[in-house]
Amino acid sequence: MVLNDILVTAMGILTGLGLGKNETLQSLLNQKSAIGELKHLKTIHHELPVSEVRLSDEEMISLLNYDSTKPLTRTTLLGMLALKEALEEAKIHKDTPKRIAFISGTTVGGMDKNEDYYKEFFQNNSKDEYISLHDCAASTQAIADYFGGFDFITTISTACSSAANAVILGANLIKANLVDIAVVGGTECLSKFHLNGFNTLMILDKEPCKPFDKDRQGLNLGEGAAYIVLEKESSAKERNVKPICKLSGYANTCDAFHQTASSPNGEGAFLSMKRALEDSGLSINDIDYINAHGTGTGNNDSSEASAIKRVFGENIPYVSSTKSFTGHTTSAAGSVESVISILALKNNFIPANLNFKTPMEDVALVPVQKTIHLPNIKHIMTNSFGFGGNDSSCIFSKII
Amino acid sequence: MSIYIQSLSQISIQEPLCDTWFDNPIYYNERYVEVIEPNYKQYINPMSSRRMGKILKRAVTTSLETLKKGKKGNEIDAIITATGLGCVENTEKFLYSMLDNNETLLTPTYFIQSTHNTISSQIALELKCNNYNSTYVHRGISFDSALFDAYVQFILNKINNALVGAHDEMTKDMFALYDKIGYWKQGDVNKEILKQSDSIGSFSGEIASCFFLSNEKNNDSICSLDGMTILHKPTNERFEESLLSLLKENDLNLYDIDAVVVGYSGDKENDMVYTRLKSLFFEDTPFVWYKHLFGESFSMSAMGFYVGATCFKNNKIPNHLLLDTEKEIINPKHIIIYNHFQNQEHSLILLSKC
Repeated sequence: MVLNDILVTAMGILTGLGLGKNETLQSLLNQKSAIGELKHLKTIHHELPVSEVRLSDEEMISLLNYDSTKPLTRTTLLGMLALKEALEEAKIHKDTPKRIAFISGTTVGGMDKNEDYYKEFFQNNSKDEYISLHDCAASTQAIADYFGGFDFITTISTACSSAANAVILGANLIKANLVDIAVVGGTECLSKFHLNGFNTLMILDKEPCKPFDKDRQGLNLGEGAAYIVLEKESSAKERNVKPICKLSGYANTCDAFHQTASSPNGEGAFLSMKRALEDSGLSINDIDYINAHGTGTGNNDSSEASAIKRVFGENIPYVSSTKSFTGHTTSAAGSVESVISILALKNNFIPANLNFKTPMEDVALVPVQKTIHLPNIKHIMTNSFGFGGNDSSCIFSKII
Repeated sequence: MSIYIQSLSQISIQEPLCDTWFDNPIYYNERYVEVIEPNYKQYINPMSSRRMGKILKRAVTTSLETLKKGKKGNEIDAIITATGLGCVENTEKFLYSMLDNNETLLTPTYFIQSTHNTISSQIALELKCNNYNSTYVHRGISFDSALFDAYVQFILNKINNALVGAHDEMTKDMFALYDKIGYWKQGDVNKEILKQSDSIGSFSGEIASCFFLSNEKNNDSICSLDGMTILHKPTNERFEESLLSLLKENDLNLYDIDAVVVGYSGDKENDMVYTRLKSLFFEDTPFVWYKHLFGESFSMSAMGFYVGATCFKNNKIPNHLLLDTEKEIINPKHIIIYNHFQNQEHSLILLSKC
């Protein structure tokens, strides 16, 4: 270990696959996808499969022992449960004597309640307590208040790469010695707003998504939250917490091509992977597995595959998109897939890219189709790309 | 490590794209004031302009104007944007259409430009910039967070320059909603009422502002950013320790600070926090305000930064900006920008003459 390494010392996750690392790991190993019919979201679009968190708002409130008279959004509840697992594992509580940052990525914010109550806001005062919850920071603020003890909090919104950019800011803050510990990730619930938004773009598959397949029809939306805890070795040692792995490199770039489409040659994605590698000091041959952004849309998967080929040439590592399990958890995807990558690293397996049959014609890239167990996985790269071309890549490595 | 403000630009409820406000400010008596729109033709071609919402036009224009003044050939290493509420106009259009038609007959146009990061991405698109790009959306410290991201990357030598912007629009709907929860004054508003600060609420303004920062000093450098910190619910001790270490790192004492720029807005609960700071640390230091000229909005603290820098540019702090003294300050050397949001998030920024 190098003194300045950024270590991951804990993590927490909640997606359609279940609550916590264990349920997530078992679903991944058993190739059990969470994509199915929606249950909680009050929409007319039941033809669209999604990956919903099975817990209702009420069930989450009760798991958290939260005062149910206070208004809450689903994004906040998801975030609280994922963070609870991470903080418990990290042995962080409100009196931990460290400068602890909490950085959360979200975009939809309180839209789940806003869209239900919007017209009522203007007709009467019965739902006014939800007005202040519709912006992105509301969930971060409520989550921080619930646990206490944070020295700095902020919220990032770069659409589907939000959580990855929270990881990047957190790591930078530790490196600059502005904080001791950074708790980073993202949270996002499903909303009618973005389900309909993605639907108008005609990028939602009516079947379970087939990332990197020639006949892919689009993505399935998901919801969830995940947070990881970052700190240096000195802090981990002092607090007597065992590191899981290290964050060995990362980069944030912009495709600067189109607001919702990726460039055909994946310039932003190419640069984010290349620069993350440079930042880590690793070579292309060191990467054992790429947890791809792989949404299942025609545009993303071609563009990302081109970018992967440009970076890795003919020796492409194992690739899979675990969005075939969790759906696209949008702003949370960066941390959800970081946790999945770390689970794969720790348990030496490559998760499958479900539903893949036929390679794409333009850029053939054959993802891993069944769980593979390997003797020793050392380095994993995870990609998160967002609308607006906000592309970020992170590399997690075993500690040797 | 040094960071310099090279250029800056604003579109607000004062005369846009200039500093007329510095000598001849406009005072308002309304609770809801919209931006004075400049002529965008010079910056954006009419084809693109038609496709952009108001906030995008303002953001692109202030970015281009800032770079025109400050950038010297090199590429931009980071574009970092703050926006408390994002592209509200388009969000509302899509939301209404979804609610009115029960999730049918929707078109993607407004959705595409409804996410918060649309702004930073649009700037990258206009500038064809593939480098670092991020967006901060944390209410009253959105701008401070964006600046902090740049600051950290300067410290780590990851960037040599950064374009940092803060953009917020206020639609009639949003104004009405925030009115219901106490953001705006009930009854009359004017400069004197704001200064008295004996009721809750302020008045609503809109903002588009942009700053070009560089680690290289040249003739354009306006002032230096010598340090900053953002704290969440600090104890008194933690706050004091941060303030004093910010000064100490720069070999300064409290009495070296010529002025403190504060987000005093006329809201009594908000302003009490600034009054308290004064009584604790800055009893004899003049306080500067700016929200009486620009109004309140989530990323308005950017205008505190703007005002601080503009005072260095002009080598004075004019008396209309002074909250508690009358005499203008000539040749300021060190200014602290202090901003808080609901007494939860607190940010301190140190600017110095360079």
